[in-house]
Order: sequence, then structure tokens, then C-alpha cells
Amino acid sequence: MDATIVADEVSRTFGPVRAIDRLTLEIPPGVIYGLLGPSGSGKTTFLRMVVGALRPTEGRLLVLGRTMPDRAVAGQIGYMPQTAALYPDLTLRENLAFFGRIYGLRGRKLEDRVEQLVNDLGLLGWVDQPLYRFSSGMLQRASLACALLHQPELLVLDEPTVGLDPVLRRSLWAHFRQLAEQGKTLLISTHTMDEADRCDLLGFLRGGRLLASDTPAALRLQTGQADLEDAFLALAGQPGIPVGEP
Amino acid sequence: MSWQRVLALMLRIVRQFRRDKRTLALILVVPVLVLSLLGYIYRGSGEPTRLAVVLEGDSPLARQVLALLEETSSLQVIVMEREPALQAVDRREVDGVLVLPALPVQPGTQPEVELILEGSQPSAAGAIAGAVSRALPQAIIQTMSPSGQAIQIEPRFLHGGPQFDQLDYFAPTFIGFFAFFFVFLLTSVSFLRERLQGSIERLIVSPLDRREIVLGYMLGFTLFATVQSIVMVIFTVAVLRIHYAGELWLVVFLTFLMTVGAVNLGIFLSAFARTELQVVQFIPIVITPQGLLSGIIWPVDSLPRPLQWLAQALPLTWANEALRAVMIRGEGLDALGLHLAVLIGFAAAMAALAMVTLRREVA
Repeated sequence: MDATIVADEVSRTFGPVRAIDRLTLEIPPGVIYGLLGPSGSGKTTFLRMVVGALRPTEGRLLVLGRTMPDRAVAGQIGYMPQTAALYPDLTLRENLAFFGRIYGLRGRKLEDRVEQLVNDLGLLGWVDQPLYRFSSGMLQRASLACALLHQPELLVLDEPTVGLDPVLRRSLWAHFRQLAEQGKTLLISTHTMDEADRCDLLGFLRGGRLLASDTPAALRLQTGQADLEDAFLALAGQPGIPVGEP
Repeated sequence: MSWQRVLALMLRIVRQFRRDKRTLALILVVPVLVLSLLGYIYRGSGEPTRLAVVLEGDSPLARQVLALLEETSSLQVIVMEREPALQAVDRREVDGVLVLPALPVQPGTQPEVELILEGSQPSAAGAIAGAVSRALPQAIIQTMSPSGQAIQIEPRFLHGGPQFDQLDYFAPTFIGFFAFFFVFLLTSVSFLRERLQGSIERLIVSPLDRREIVLGYMLGFTLFATVQSIVMVIFTVAVLRIHYAGELWLVVFLTFLMTVGAVNLGIFLSAFARTELQVVQFIPIVITPQGLLSGIIWPVDSLPRPLQWLAQALPLTWANEALRAVMIRGEGLDALGLHLAVLIGFAAAMAALAMVTLRREVA
């Protein structure tokens, strides 16, 4: 099967800053790919190029067989940005209905999806509350619900579990695993090591460069480090510098 | 192009509006309040201008002048002695003093008439000078002609009528101005918010394309602007009893065209603002010149020539002319071809600019 994402020497500059530097990787369908790196390493820039919000300055980026940015695959991608990016004056149901309709869901099907997602994400009692009443963790889940709504082939999640309690975090990862088993591809950025360990494939990003991209087990083997954080530091060649916020 | 997506966007904007009671009041109640205020200013009875008349002797001419001045509704005439009258005008208790000498009116002689004006308030001074200069010659003619008959002019109005006043002249343009102002302000603020909260990125990467975004916004905001203009038309016609000669649906239609341009101007200019305060800074640039030059208060013809050229470049000038043509002169669509072309052209140009700024969102 063709890879879901193919990046070939992709670079992105913002003025003099090189946010992504000649990044090359392939992500096959049906896997959870974790992008690990400290803040400012270019994770969000890469994710935004994958979803078509940013244009690569150099190189070629193929997503679901199309060179990005391309509106033709927009309906098959679900994107959860780092900030909630929803409408605070509308209720959760209205936010979901808006994004659902934009992605072509309507009527019974839309209602069923909304019902299912608010159940899965533990927001059942809040569905008719305006979002300005939500805590940041609840907003995070509402935002995730909007990305999952149309059952996309590719899910791009920018630090989806920041600020969530461990129980919820675990149940979300179980949900992500379920989606991968259904053949969906997930690209998730994170800077916590326990989450990195749950991914099928892991990319280490630092200063816009991809240091390594492999399974967590292979990365441990390659670096001879049992701990993923140590493996990252070994690859970065600068032991002692913390990888990111805990 | 998917109408389902356009409608989803429009529905979202309508819902956000309905939630936002204060903004809803701003667009529906404020114009009515401002119009009521204007109506009261122009039609309510204010303090009349006071004129002291000093009769230095009894003569038919003086009596006739006094009688004519007393008939003038905007003047309150008080007969006084010379000294108290001069003191009164000094203390600003009256706005002017007219001294009528007791001269016999004979051919070849001119009565010596003194007029002292307080002068610090131009409109009062103007009203007195105007009334006196009308009353004097008329009184001379009336006292000298054997029949006592003066020449009477009965004006015949092509448009408007004897009851037609400043409020009738302003009201049609206020409908267009309010629609333009509020729609511009609300669109630019809510589009800026969309950028600030990051939801524009979600829209950009969704199947929505730029035409659908612009169209959805246009439908959502023009819906409220149209409701606003209907409320204003009903209020001006039914409550303020504004003179109208033409078809009222045309007024609503012209306002609609105006707001389509305003929505797109708002989307376009919001791209150049980073905060809501910066959006407010567009008001002196976009709104104030149009408010002053588009003929709402001062007719465009009365402006200095360079300003007339500038006025011709403002969309509101064309909207105002068309609104007056419809409401005051009762003209129909057929007479407004050029105006419609300018307003549609403005809306189309702004829509194109709005789409260019949306293209820049995928940076």
C-alpha cells in the first residue's frame, strides 16, 4: 500500500529562520507516528504543512497521494491545532454541527457522530453549554472531537493530551490505537516520553532536522539506551540538555 | 462550490449573533434611537429666537413690520423701550434688537432702521436678519399699495412639498450609512477574531474554499443588515412620518448592495489589523470621510471641487444619491442604472480583494 505521507527533502523557512530543514520521511497507513521534540523544534510547522495550512518552501510533500497544499484531500484529513480554535460563544453541539456540516455530515449521521464522540470523550453533560464555560482540558477534548467527527483517513494532532489527567489520557490513547487498527493514520506531536513509547513509529525532531525515524524499540537498540529520553539525547549528541518540558 | 457548506457558515454566524444580545441591540436599537433623536431635534419645538422691537413712534409702516415679524413662527417678538432693550441684548436675554423709527413713508425717502444682533450664535443672528429683511420690504409694499395687497408667491414643488424638512432629507441616507458602518465594523471584528482564535486555520484546511468562506460571511451579515434596514424603513415611515415617494423595497435592496461591499471590505481590511483596537482605527479612515463627504448633511454639489471628485470615489455617495432618488423623488430601478453599476462594481472589487487576503492565509 502507498504511504500516507511522503516528505522528500521538505524545508520551510520563515524569513531567515529555517523551521524545517530538508526533512525526509515516509509514514505508512494504519500506524501512529509520533513526532517528538522540544518546543521550537518545528513540530507544529511540519504538521501545518501536512494539513495544507503552510506551503513548503522547498521539497515535495505528498499526503494521501497529493502534493500539498491541495484542497482535494482536505475532507480526508482531521486536524487538531495546538490551541482549541473553536467558537467560544457557541455550544459544543453547535461547534460540532458546524464542523460536521463543513465536512459533509448531516442529519441523523451527524447527530449519531456527535452523540458517540461526546460519550467517548466524557463531555456528555456539557454538550449544550457554550465553550467559554469549558476548562482548558475540556476545550482540548472538544477540539479533538471536531477533528475526529468526519472519520478522516489521516488524523493530525498537535499535542492532543496536554493538560489532561492520566485516566483520560490513557483512554484517548486506547481510542487512537483503535483508529489505527481500523487502518487510519495518525500523526501526533508530543514532548512527553511515555506517549512517545505508545507510538508505532517515532521521529526525533530538533532544530528543524529529523534526527532519526524508526520504531521505539529500534531507536533504543540503535542508541543502546533503555530510556527513550536518553536515546533522544544520544542522537542529539548533546547529553544533559533536557528534551522538553516534563 | 457547495451550498451546504456556505449555509453551514451562514448558520454559524447567525447563531453567534443571536447569542450576542448586546451586538444585536447595537444593530437594531441604536439606529432607531439615533433617528428618534434626530427627529426630536428637527421637529420638536426648541427655544425660539428672541427679538426685541423698539418702536420710536407710531407709524403704519412700523406697525406693519411688527405684525409681520410676530407672524414668523421661529421668532418670539417682545416690544421694549430702547434702553432696556439694549441692556437685554448685552445680557443675552434677547438675541437682537430692531429699532423702527417713526418716519413717514414717502417715495424717495428711506426709513433709518437699526438692527443690533447679539451675534455669538450664528443661527439666531441669521434667523433675525433673514426675518427682518423679509418683513421690511413687504411692509413697505403693503403700506404703499392702494389695495394693501402684497405680491404673494405660492411655490409649486416638483418633489417633496411644503412640509418637507431636513429630517426628510437626511433619513434616506442614514439607512444606508448605518448599514454600511455596522456591517463593516462587525465583519472586520469577527473575522479578526477568527484569525486570533485560530479557527481560520481550521477553515482553511477544511473542504471550505475561499469563495464559500466569503459567500457564507456575506449571507450571514447581510441577513442582519437587511433586517436592520427593514426596521429603519418601517420606523422612519410609520413613526417619524418621513416623506417617501418611491418603492420601499428598493431602499432595502440598495442597502443590501451596500452591505455586500461592506462585508468584503471588512474581511479585506481585517487582514491588516492584529488587534481589535486596530480595527477600530479603521473607522476614521473608512467611515468618517464617507460620513462627511457622501452628501448625508452637505450636498455633494456644495463641496469644493477637489472634494467633489473625492466624493465621487466613495461608494456611500452613490448609495445616498440613489436612496434619495428613490425615497424623495420616487425614481425606479430604470433611472438608477449607473448607481447600481457603481455599487455592484464596488461589491465585486471588495469581494475580489477579500479573496486575495484569504489566499494569503496559506502562507
